[in-house]
Amino acid sequence: MHKKRGLSFIAAVFFFLIPVLLMTTEQSHGAIYFFENKLRVKGSLYEFAMYQTKIKPEDKKFSDTRFGLMKAKATLELLYKAVENDTLEVNLFGFFRWWHDSVMDFDDQRHDSVSRRNRHFYQGPYYDQDDWINELYVDIYRGPWNIRLGKQIVFWSEVEMVRTIDRINPLDLRYTTPGIDPWDEMKIGLWMMRGFYNSDLPGQLVFEWIWIPGDFEGVRTPREGTPMGSGPAPPDPKDPNRPFGQGGAVNAMWRSSQPAFNMRNSSFAFRLRGNSEVELLGEFLNLDWTVSWYHGMNQTPVPNRENIGKPSFSNINTSTINGYLNNLAVSRLTSSPTPNHPRGAWEYKFFDAIGVSCQSFIPPIKGVLRGEISYEIGVPQITAFSDRIDPSPSFAKLMVGTTERDQVNIGITYDVPIMYDWLQGLWGSGGVVDTSIGFFLQERLGNVSRIRSTFAYQDRSQTNFTLMMRWHFWNNELTQVLRTLYNTANFGYVAMTVNWTPGYHMRYETGYMYFYAKDPWDFNQANAENKDFIYLKIGYEF
Amino acid sequence: MTFLYGDNFKLLKKEDGMKRVYTVILSALVILTFSFDAVFAAGIKFPVPSYEGQELAKLRQWEKTWAGKKITKENIDQIKEFLHEGVYIAMTQPEKFGAETIWCEVVPYRQYPTSKGKIAATMKYAPTSKLEENGMIAGYGQVAGIPFPQPKTGLEMAWNFDGNTRGDASREKQWGNVIDCRSRNERETIQYRWELYWIGRYDVEPIPAFSKKKNPRGIARSFFQRHAAPADFVDTTMIEIKYINPKRLEDLWVYTAMFRRIRRYASTQRSDTIDGTDMIYDDHDGWYTSIIHNTYSAKGRADLLVARHQDRDKLERIKGQGFWSGVQRERVNHWVVEVKNKNKNYVYSKQIWYLDPETWQMNFKTMYNRQGEFWKMYEMFYSVYPSAGNQKTPSYNSEHIMDYIRSHGSDSKREMLELGAEIRTDLFQVKSLKQKSY
Repeated sequence: MHKKRGLSFIAAVFFFLIPVLLMTTEQSHGAIYFFENKLRVKGSLYEFAMYQTKIKPEDKKFSDTRFGLMKAKATLELLYKAVENDTLEVNLFGFFRWWHDSVMDFDDQRHDSVSRRNRHFYQGPYYDQDDWINELYVDIYRGPWNIRLGKQIVFWSEVEMVRTIDRINPLDLRYTTPGIDPWDEMKIGLWMMRGFYNSDLPGQLVFEWIWIPGDFEGVRTPREGTPMGSGPAPPDPKDPNRPFGQGGAVNAMWRSSQPAFNMRNSSFAFRLRGNSEVELLGEFLNLDWTVSWYHGMNQTPVPNRENIGKPSFSNINTSTINGYLNNLAVSRLTSSPTPNHPRGAWEYKFFDAIGVSCQSFIPPIKGVLRGEISYEIGVPQITAFSDRIDPSPSFAKLMVGTTERDQVNIGITYDVPIMYDWLQGLWGSGGVVDTSIGFFLQERLGNVSRIRSTFAYQDRSQTNFTLMMRWHFWNNELTQVLRTLYNTANFGYVAMTVNWTPGYHMRYETGYMYFYAKDPWDFNQANAENKDFIYLKIGYEF
Repeated sequence: MTFLYGDNFKLLKKEDGMKRVYTVILSALVILTFSFDAVFAAGIKFPVPSYEGQELAKLRQWEKTWAGKKITKENIDQIKEFLHEGVYIAMTQPEKFGAETIWCEVVPYRQYPTSKGKIAATMKYAPTSKLEENGMIAGYGQVAGIPFPQPKTGLEMAWNFDGNTRGDASREKQWGNVIDCRSRNERETIQYRWELYWIGRYDVEPIPAFSKKKNPRGIARSFFQRHAAPADFVDTTMIEIKYINPKRLEDLWVYTAMFRRIRRYASTQRSDTIDGTDMIYDDHDGWYTSIIHNTYSAKGRADLLVARHQDRDKLERIKGQGFWSGVQRERVNHWVVEVKNKNKNYVYSKQIWYLDPETWQMNFKTMYNRQGEFWKMYEMFYSVYPSAGNQKTPSYNSEHIMDYIRSHGSDSKREMLELGAEIRTDLFQVKSLKQKSY
């Protein structure tokens, strides 16, 4: 432990001292260059404070203060142009990050609401040993070929706010939501080999393939006891703050079941990207399109059939999942010791997905239309008793078995800049509000009457509508963004952010995030209903 | 030249007869004509110097007093008649523009060199230049040079501006600032820019245009731009394509580094400001989009001081100053054109373009808001650079654009890395955005 603290200290010094040294030297206001421009250094320092404005009475016992986050973070991006000539170009790219959330250092209740192990994973880049490396790869160009080897982040999507075909990297959703933190910091890098062939074929075709040789990361959902997670449940009558409830148990089991770095766990993906011109009803449309295929593990696991155990509340066999969860609930109600969870009881299963995307400016509607469709084949699912036999809310249902279902995801956005005459010239505004309206549909195929949950229990489909509006004042020094999402299951959020960029380096951002939900038991994401917060980010970019 | 007037003339033998003398005289006239960089054919004279004869003599007389003089608030009224109102306001009210003082220098007028290719293309195509009913120039895409060297209408002047391709291709570095003169807050931008004219070419092969096989999409002009500052925009890269077909709106793709995504942008965003500068997308290079989006009316000539041979290092300013000091201004007798967009809701109610009579570059323009108030002034400063085929071509060196209502400015300096460059056409493909992002 002491050794780790020592390493953390060195990492902190590394991330903070270098920028401080760079700040004191004469430099460009963009990136900083060394060795005759061969090495480019850039990065950022940020303090991110989140203040929770709505904590339910029953959750107040989990914190002394309303501070949800007090996160100091630093990023460092290095680009070294190792070879650069007419036939060969070799670049080395690294994107490193470090953070520390200090709320649990000064809020004792929050500290005690999270188990020691989860606290360690949460407070800094310690969930995996390479978390501090977000990207590190060698990038080789020779003729039409481009090979990238190393830890990378891949962006395949055209639409924003809801992911449909953009599935290569899992997300880290433990601290906040997309839009508040940048995507490249929320995506978890994976070690992979990625190749491109830039053809001269008609349509500017680019062939892209990805091989992830066994590096697997599950999605990181908010931890139990942390501000964005649920409180430890069921509550312990003697010690309400006793950490490690059902959510913590599930996270711990998922983590221990995560597949090893092994070739057999390889994921593969392929994408063809093109650009085609079509003339439709007298209008020229320049279409950017992609066709993709993905074969990999689902980022959330399902139980091993042999480890599910008897689907009964009388099952307290801790070597089975149902038994262990029952046992854990009993132990909390009776204040007896926490049982050990079964190891390797969950399984991350493979599935396939075929995706198509297209975007184009459409002159008659004066905007850009983007669309994506993903057909997922054999998505692993957990089954439960039908509602007639087990009327418990979705996440309290006993697990019966596993199955697979095909799913279709559709995402369409319409982006249009709208000019408002009254806004033009007002406080240095150009008068344009960039507006994006989105429609997202997820349809599960086949019989869903016994599907326990992936999204809403027994629902065949879910529909989201999104709206994003962005406008500027003071010649873009001040940017406001409004993001809203409405799910037809009656939950969603509204986020309003204000970003101030007063000069070369300093960045300020504040905002308010309001969540609403009908019933968190209906829908996993609706757990955020009491997570409203205001936030302030102060940063230095160099 | 000297052999005509010097001893070499005596080398001619009397016995060669009158025929030989006529031949020599004729040849001498041709050479003489070229020596003034002007060619006459079918009523076409090109290039046309800003001043000739008496006018030039008068100018030189005036320059005897003013050339080399530093102009400040104290002596500006003596040359007020040769300054545009926008320059006069900035120099007499420097505190409004974030400065204690704004000064400039008067330099002698110098005629621009004109490339052989530009002269040849103009002489080839100008005699048959004509406008179509929709305002387009006949044969657009298959002609080059200045189509109307002796223009009669504002539209002809606008097409002349469009015909100036400044070496056909360029590669440059541009670094600028977005400046709030009141708060003195500044944001820096640095870009690398590759620009290619696909048609109307006269200096670099293929002339006058890329073949249909090489240009199946019918591109008129394109640029590829990579940002190197501010820090959060590093590696953000964009491609814009302007098409020959005037009905086709421009296509714009942006690879936003912070989102790692290639995004299509709506061409209707062209009247929005570019990254918070005082410039809208249409303002690029004076006017970036199709000539026929506007109506034009000629407003005569204006003899004004502008920067055509600017030494970039002489430009200076303090933090928060939105208008350059150290501008080296020379007198030029501009063509003046009033420009109104055909879209009644356009961001500018009108623009006034000040076009250089020698190159047809835009030396500056003024913009008026919808209420008709003087809103902005965009001054482009030029230098003469070596270009393809050992020619010399004037192109951008630096610039500033001022918002007079809000006391806000945007300036930039440009380093011409290559003019008349041979740029690969596949750079202007969407796939290049990510590939060339660093």
